[in-house]
Amino acid sequence: MEPILLKAEHEKNSRALTTYLNRGGYSALKKALIMNPEDIREEVKKSGLRGRGGAGFPTGVKWGFVPQDSPKPKYLICNADESEPGTFKDRKLIHTDPHMLIEGIIISSYAINAYTAYIYIRGEFYEEAQILEKAIAEAYKKHYLGKNILKTGYDLDVYVHRGAGAYICGEETALMESIEGKRGQPRVKPPFPAVVGLFGCPTVINNVETLACVPHIIERGADWFASIGRPRNTGPKLFCVSGHVNRPGVYELPLGVTYREIIEEHCGGVRDGKKLKGFIPGGSSAPVLPASAIDIKADFDSVAEAGSMFGSGALIVLDETTDMVWLLENLLTFYTHESCGQCTPCREGGHWALEIVRRIRRGYGRPEDLETLERISRFASQGMTLCPLGDAFCGPITGVLKHFRGEFEAAIAKAKPLPKKKLPVLPVRSGRGTFGM
Amino acid sequence: MVSVTIDGHEVQVPEGTNVLEAAKKAGITIPHYCYHPGLRVVGQCRVCLVEIEGMPKLATACSTQVRDGMNILTHSERVDEARGAVLEFLLANHPLDCPVCDQAGECYLQDYAFDFGLDTTHMVDEKRRYPERERRMLGPHIVQNQNRCIHCTRCIRFTQEISETHDLTMKARGNHQYIDTFNGEPYENPWSACAADVCPVGALTVKEFRFRARVWRLDDTPSVCPGCSIGCNITIGHRNGIVYRFVPRENAEINGWWMCDYGRFLSEQLNGREIEKPLIRSGDRLAAAPWPDALNELAKIIGDGNGVRVIASANLSNEALYLAKKLFVEKLGAEVLVPSETGPERAIKNGHRDWIRSRDPHPNTDGARLLGLNTGDTSALQDFLITSAGPVVILDATAHPLLASEEIVQAIKNQPVIAIAGKHTPVTRAARIVLPAASWLETEGTYTSSTGRVQRAERGAHPKDEAKPSWEILALMARLFGMEGGPFTRPQQIFEELAAEVPAFAGITYRRLANEPGVPVLEEVAHVG
Repeated sequence: MEPILLKAEHEKNSRALTTYLNRGGYSALKKALIMNPEDIREEVKKSGLRGRGGAGFPTGVKWGFVPQDSPKPKYLICNADESEPGTFKDRKLIHTDPHMLIEGIIISSYAINAYTAYIYIRGEFYEEAQILEKAIAEAYKKHYLGKNILKTGYDLDVYVHRGAGAYICGEETALMESIEGKRGQPRVKPPFPAVVGLFGCPTVINNVETLACVPHIIERGADWFASIGRPRNTGPKLFCVSGHVNRPGVYELPLGVTYREIIEEHCGGVRDGKKLKGFIPGGSSAPVLPASAIDIKADFDSVAEAGSMFGSGALIVLDETTDMVWLLENLLTFYTHESCGQCTPCREGGHWALEIVRRIRRGYGRPEDLETLERISRFASQGMTLCPLGDAFCGPITGVLKHFRGEFEAAIAKAKPLPKKKLPVLPVRSGRGTFGM
Repeated sequence: MVSVTIDGHEVQVPEGTNVLEAAKKAGITIPHYCYHPGLRVVGQCRVCLVEIEGMPKLATACSTQVRDGMNILTHSERVDEARGAVLEFLLANHPLDCPVCDQAGECYLQDYAFDFGLDTTHMVDEKRRYPERERRMLGPHIVQNQNRCIHCTRCIRFTQEISETHDLTMKARGNHQYIDTFNGEPYENPWSACAADVCPVGALTVKEFRFRARVWRLDDTPSVCPGCSIGCNITIGHRNGIVYRFVPRENAEINGWWMCDYGRFLSEQLNGREIEKPLIRSGDRLAAAPWPDALNELAKIIGDGNGVRVIASANLSNEALYLAKKLFVEKLGAEVLVPSETGPERAIKNGHRDWIRSRDPHPNTDGARLLGLNTGDTSALQDFLITSAGPVVILDATAHPLLASEEIVQAIKNQPVIAIAGKHTPVTRAARIVLPAASWLETEGTYTSSTGRVQRAERGAHPKDEAKPSWEILALMARLFGMEGGPFTRPQQIFEELAAEVPAFAGITYRRLANEPGVPVLEEVAHVG
């Protein structure tokens, strides 16, 4: 496939506005601004573009939820929080082609009649925030942003808002709380952000990669976009491959390639010629899949069918040396640390699961522990929490226990009995005097 | 109105009601921690899960609004299982120290764990502890034990939305988050103890009440706060005639679910009666005497009422004030003054989130005015006393701070003074006759709040010793002077007569007082107009 999103990957000075214009940049914007916003929404809907942030919700449909007759201002937020372990595609996109993202933001804002857009970028992405600020300044100068864009009468302001380092602020409602200056905690849904979002106004939140796709859809048409990939899973996708492969990195491939193709052809196979043990297909919260699943197609529907989650397309490859108990402890440590603490099942369950896995790794596992882990993951996911963080920490548990239960059982079989806690013996006072033991 | 079916019971509720309130209407309890009717819905404790037909996932009853024809199950197998699991999560790190926890008995964690929880736990690991936040004074009235906290954030939302002081916040994150004040300063605002009321567990408790009584051994009497003219609804917790605490009682029209710390800690002052029997002066000292003797002496002093000056009190109930008016103004032709004063401002937010403010420190000034009694401020009271020449009858020794000043005692020391009081003040020590008054707990009566609502305070205990409530003392006097009507044996009887006679109170009955959040005065007058 020809590179689309990463066309400028090897180009010199690719971030500058001049080089972007040489590549034909902002021509989609010129085309879009003389279109009807409704037609743009329709075009994106027709393209079958699904949200690249993880949930895979059809973007055009999401835009359609915004009540256009609402008297309130509408907002577009570009979610560049990218905190899921294993995901680094948005960072690559911003590094390579920030103007593509800005063009996508302008077109999308125009499509939903928003006059203000925010880019919420994670706090650690300092350099990327600088890149964006610079690109935005360039765009303002050339009247791609600001008042009366390209003399079409459309106004748009874009602000970069840096996060303060919480994973949960990638969740759309927590992100909005964070922009509003509050503690970043997810809100109760409904109402959904499309109706009551940022500052109580209708808001659309899209991922960086999703917005970067929009100019291409406008430029080359929905049918062209839909011809890439598979039905219902259309378009190019950035795969972030990390872990035990020879050539980790970001690869742009059409949706629906097999994982075998990604790992063996593009990434040069598992490192040091070792055998593949398993892989996490969609960022660390997706349930791990065993090596036998390598031939499934990398798209939203196929991965869901295999019992995992395509998520953001972050592929974490695990070779045969990986200790699955360690893997689970590592992942749970992250999710426990990042739980916002609102919902009981996530706050208490996550920490509890981590304690159990730690104990198993220290050699004090008990046979009942696996059942308890399963019980925790059952009652902390599937709508038991306000936001999907409950599901996020349960994904690793269910995946690991489903495919690699043997390793846990082996660890438990070798375990020492739990050290008996010594309870202090207190003297008992009675009417007849004090007696102790 | 929409119609929903909850566990097979059909109920009609207004649109926009949440499932939890609808179930309450159907008589079904859905357990909840973070939800409080007076606070914003956050839907985070996850214990109010219910199954709704047509929804694939369980829904939280607090954040789901009813829709017409909704079929809700609050006790299906799925719900019970999930609820049990949430309670297990909550208890996993809870210290389970109920025997030494002062919340026991009114702890929702305890109650729901009994009703919906598992009888075991799968937790064998070390529990989370906050060593620095066990038994810590969060503020002057609040003791914090963070180990017991279930992170429902009710107290935080209270300070954000009700007191608007924004004192409390959640610090840290996830499993280790804890409640603290923003700047680490003591948690102090005029309603601070309400944070302990809304706390469903023993994480925040009121210092003044801690370990004074086990709550299941207390008797609860619905009453009205005596602290100011707002008339917050309270429940008096008492046992054997001893008052242990005031807690706010829900009344959306007046105090919502809240009360101020000043009113709450007045409970301390209701105990410790000093005057147990009627006292008659003989020489330098006051000697105990039986009631008939005291009344005879009183009749001798008052005589035909000529030159008698009566200081009534805005602390007295509508009934007592009505009798005072009938007897002293209409029968005996004496001059009656109800002292009033301006005190510190008290404020409370009602159930509609509106502030009610008052600077009147007495609970029934408006009642006295509506009954047609004269009210007067401090200087009026001073004049009233200094210019008096005959007997002075003080119906309540705490009616005004001036009555406790030596200066006033000097001014009237040569006149015969009759005082009704529970505790000694300078004026009772100088009085000719002192009659023992029952305490607030021992007095039944109705009071007219500054918002114009008549409310009833019930009697929780018989007066101890020989004390009598003011209305009863006045009824005895009425008989003594041969006033028409009566004999008055119950406040209800007096109130009925009052309601029939005084236009402002027309149409108010005891039954309505029991069923409504206070009945507005002048209701019928307004309707006729």
